[in-house]
Amino acid sequence: MLRQADNELLTRTGPGTPAGDLFRRYWLPALLSEELPENDCPQVRVKILSERLVAFRDSEGRYGLIDEFCAHRGVSLWFGRNEESGLRCAYHGWKYDVTGQCVDVPSEPEESGFRARIKLRSYPLVEMGGVLWTHLGDPDDRPLMPEWEPFQVAAEQTFTSKRWQESNWLQALEGGIDSSHVSWLHSGGLKNDPLFKGAKGNEYNLADRKPFFEVIDADGGLFIAARRNAEEGKYYWRITPWVLPSFTMIPPRGDHPVHGHFWVPIDDENCWVFTYDYHPTRPLAEKELEAMRAGHGVHNEYEPGTYRPLANKDNDYLMDRAAQQQGESFSGIKGIAMQDSSLQESMGPVVDRTKENLVSTDNGIIMARRKLKKAVVALRDEGEAPPGVDPSHQRVRSASVVLPSDDPWIETTRDVLSVTAGVGHSTV
Amino acid sequence: MDDRRPTLLHSCARAATTAEAGYRVDYPNSSERASRIIALDDRAAAILEPVADRSWRGARFLTFEAVRDGDGNGVVDAQLRSFDGGTSLLSEELDGADVAVMVATGDEGAEAASIIGRASFRRRIMTAGLVVRGRNEPNDAVNVLRPYASVLVVSPDEQYIADVLTALRA
Repeated sequence: MLRQADNELLTRTGPGTPAGDLFRRYWLPALLSEELPENDCPQVRVKILSERLVAFRDSEGRYGLIDEFCAHRGVSLWFGRNEESGLRCAYHGWKYDVTGQCVDVPSEPEESGFRARIKLRSYPLVEMGGVLWTHLGDPDDRPLMPEWEPFQVAAEQTFTSKRWQESNWLQALEGGIDSSHVSWLHSGGLKNDPLFKGAKGNEYNLADRKPFFEVIDADGGLFIAARRNAEEGKYYWRITPWVLPSFTMIPPRGDHPVHGHFWVPIDDENCWVFTYDYHPTRPLAEKELEAMRAGHGVHNEYEPGTYRPLANKDNDYLMDRAAQQQGESFSGIKGIAMQDSSLQESMGPVVDRTKENLVSTDNGIIMARRKLKKAVVALRDEGEAPPGVDPSHQRVRSASVVLPSDDPWIETTRDVLSVTAGVGHSTV
Repeated sequence: MDDRRPTLLHSCARAATTAEAGYRVDYPNSSERASRIIALDDRAAAILEPVADRSWRGARFLTFEAVRDGDGNGVVDAQLRSFDGGTSLLSEELDGADVAVMVATGDEGAEAASIIGRASFRRRIMTAGLVVRGRNEPNDAVNVLRPYASVLVVSPDEQYIADVLTALRA
């Protein structure tokens, strides 16, 4: 249960809101690099943290993320022309560079200096790991570029997709740290999905459906560990890090690529789910990339030409009752990603958390909300930089390990839960 | 007939809108839970004392005091003390309880955790362990609770205990 005032505090991320100010302390994924594939390519509308923007790549390859609307009469610059190092409004030809500075007002004499007094709000847009990152906060508070490992390895070792989720960001994030649903909702995927199957750890997952959970406070967020029985006298541990504001990494399975998410609010009723898959020590195989592009693992299929999932609320997520009855999938929805988002969207755009009846296995969610609230309030009241901004908080990894039952995983796995370049994940 | 699709907004997934949320049936969907919150050591008791003073929905706050003989079948019991000074037996407290929450800060409560955990498992009562521990302090309390807590939470910030109990409607 969460009080309504706290629910509002954590779910509203527009300009001037406390949680919006929190998100504006981080570099966030804004769009995929593939959306701006070449110089002078078509610009892209971007809405993030309830701000409507347009992204473009100019003639020199510079990225820009500026207010979507022309300062003249409020026309969307999406209709404009991306040409000769600037974005020109289609209505009267006003032109802007990547900093939002107006560089041409055709109706005014050049000598008047009028254009110099016109500037649209702009934000930095930086490419890293196949993603274009932005920082929507005060430039004086701009942190160093992030050091998330999945976006720092060589290009051939990483793949990121994104999808539109029609719910508030927080219920999407909460799904990512709710380890107890995996044994139910996703039980079919472990046996069949090409990006999961074959790992020894899957056998432990399927054999023990009542895991024990441990939630450990960390500098940047939390570690959430699920413990299942392994061989006699041993436990199988799956350890998931969550780092503020909204980064998680799912524990690995065998030598499969490691995946996870970064959730970014579009507005208060929608979010982007950026989903990565990477391997820290080898290139992704072509068949792995094919599987990711085809929507396997934690990725999804799309409505053609969009980043909207093919299975969505307009088609009841392509519910397959026969597959549900036959046990091919627990919910009748195909794919891990859509199994999650179909249920999270069904809660409503912003779920009423005052009606919840949480149980002990929801303690990961409870602690994450608490940590978020504490960070939001500390920033609002004291100006304190939140957890997760410091790059050292970002150099985390997930892990899956089998340990003797009396072995304290917190101490044993300390080294493998942080990045060591050139060394793979601890995985089962 | 097999290919009939939903025709009204409320009968398909598109009903997940703010406006449609207004039609959710509004009623209390749970009754009071019987939670037993038990401090296993002195520091845990000191942390719980001000928490116990707040208003709760059925939670009882207790400290482990001593081992007591059980039913004669090799099952041990325990004497617990509430923060208003009264005493009771663990077996009495667990009768009708929904969850037993153990609070610990060190390894002094190893025996208590074992007794409470076993008694709860026998009665199929959910167990949770809340540990207050600094990042660099030893894991004694965690190791003590691990075998007996279905869910274990560890944080250096003792304020989290009240927040967790509130979220759980204790």
